[in-house]
Amino acid sequence: MFCCSYILLSDRWRCTLPFIVSSDIVKMAAAVTSRLTAAVCRQFQRVVTVSSHTQSQYAAQASSKFHSCQRRRMYDSWWFRSALNDRALHTSCVRKGLEDFFDLPENWGEQTVKSGAPWTAKQLRVKSNEDLHKLWYVFLKEKNMLLTLEQEAKRQRLPMPSPERLKKVERSIMRLDTVVKEREDSLRLLQTGQERGRPGEWRRNVFGKTFWYRFREHPIPWYLNSRYKRRRFFEPSHVAPYTRLSLEKYLRSKIRKETRENRNQKRLAAMFPKKTALASDH
Amino acid sequence: MAKRIIYPLYQLGNPQLRIFRPTFNLTLVRPGKEQPPDTVQFRIPMEMTKFDVRNYLEKIYSVPVAAVRTRIQYCTNKKRNHSNQRVKRPDYKVAYVQLAQQQTFQFPDIFPEKDKKHEEGSVEEMQEKFMEDERQRQKSDPRRGGVTEWFGL
Repeated sequence: MFCCSYILLSDRWRCTLPFIVSSDIVKMAAAVTSRLTAAVCRQFQRVVTVSSHTQSQYAAQASSKFHSCQRRRMYDSWWFRSALNDRALHTSCVRKGLEDFFDLPENWGEQTVKSGAPWTAKQLRVKSNEDLHKLWYVFLKEKNMLLTLEQEAKRQRLPMPSPERLKKVERSIMRLDTVVKEREDSLRLLQTGQERGRPGEWRRNVFGKTFWYRFREHPIPWYLNSRYKRRRFFEPSHVAPYTRLSLEKYLRSKIRKETRENRNQKRLAAMFPKKTALASDH
Repeated sequence: MAKRIIYPLYQLGNPQLRIFRPTFNLTLVRPGKEQPPDTVQFRIPMEMTKFDVRNYLEKIYSVPVAAVRTRIQYCTNKKRNHSNQRVKRPDYKVAYVQLAQQQTFQFPDIFPEKDKKHEEGSVEEMQEKFMEDERQRQKSDPRRGGVTEWFGL
C-alpha cells in the first residue's frame, strides 16, 4: 500500500494534506508544523479582517487579502516546466481558501493566459513520493480553478481564456497516476510477487468466452448471494460447438495474416533483391 | 483512480476510509437564484456526499464549513440531434455550502472590461490602426449633416 510520510514537511509548504495515513510520528510532525504555520498565519489573520454579514464586497476583500498575505515564490524545481502559468505559487495558509478557485486577479479579463508545458512522465519519475503527493493536490486545485473559469465563461457567454490549460492539467494528472501505479506495482511485485493489486481469476462466461473476472468484496458468501448465482460462469453444453468454431475462425485469420505477410515479403524480395543493394554499395 | 473505482466494503466498526489522491473536482458556480451571503454553490461529482464535500473543502482548501446541502439536477433527454437521436445532457449534483465563522462570499466578476493598450510596433497595434482607418473611411461626410448619400448632391 502506497503510504507517504510527511515527516520532512518544511514549514514553507504547508500543504493542506487531507487524507494521510496516521502514524504517531506523522501526527507529531503534522502537529509541530501546524503549530508553526498557525503562528505564522496568525500574523496574517491579524491583517486580514473577518468579514461580517453586512455588505463586504468580495472584490474589496480580495484586494486587501492579496496584498496583505505574502506571495512566496517557490524554488525553481517546483515550477520546472509545470503545467501552470509562470505566476508565483501562493502557499495555502489558513486564509479564506475560496480564492484558490479563481485565477490571480491580474489575469481576470485577459484574452489569453500564458502557461507552460505539461509535466511528462519522465520528469515525474524523478520526484519523490512526497513531492508527487503534493503535486497531485496542486494539479487538483488548478483543475478546479479551470473548471470554475470554464463554467463562468459559459454563463457569461464569453470565450474561456486559454482552454488548452485544462488538457495540459488532465494529461499531467494521468501521467502522475501512471508513475504512482508503476511504483506501487514494482513494490508489490518485490514484496509479495503478486502481479495485480486486485485479486481475480480466469473464468468462462455463458457465451463461451474466457475472461479475467475481478473479485469484489461481499458481506455474505457467494452461495447466499442470489444475484451472483444468476450470473452463470460456466458454458452450457449447447454453446460448446460455437466456442470451437470461433476458435477455428480466430486461428484461421491469424494464419491468413501470417501467410499474407510472408507472401508480401517474398514479392518485395523478388522486386528488390539483396544482391543489387550490396553491389551498389561496392 | 476515477475509472470504475470500487471502495473497500464498509461494515460497522471498520476504520474510516482514507483516500490518498482524490479525483473529485469541484466547480464553483455563480448561483442562478439569489443565495444568502454565506452560501457558496458548487457542482460536484455524483459520487460525492455531504461529508465528502465538507472534508474536501476543510482539508484541501481550509475553508470552514458549517453546513452542506446537496441536490441532483436532472438534465433533459428530450433534445435531438441531426439524426433525430435523443441527446442526453449529463446530470450533475449541486452542493450549497454554508461557511462557518460568519464568513461571506460573493461570486466575483471574472471577466471585467479591460481596455488594452497594445505596445508600439506590435501586430495587434497595426491591426487596430487599420480597423480604425477603415471605419473612418466608411463613415459618411459629416458636412452633409446626416443626410443619406442616396440622393444626388
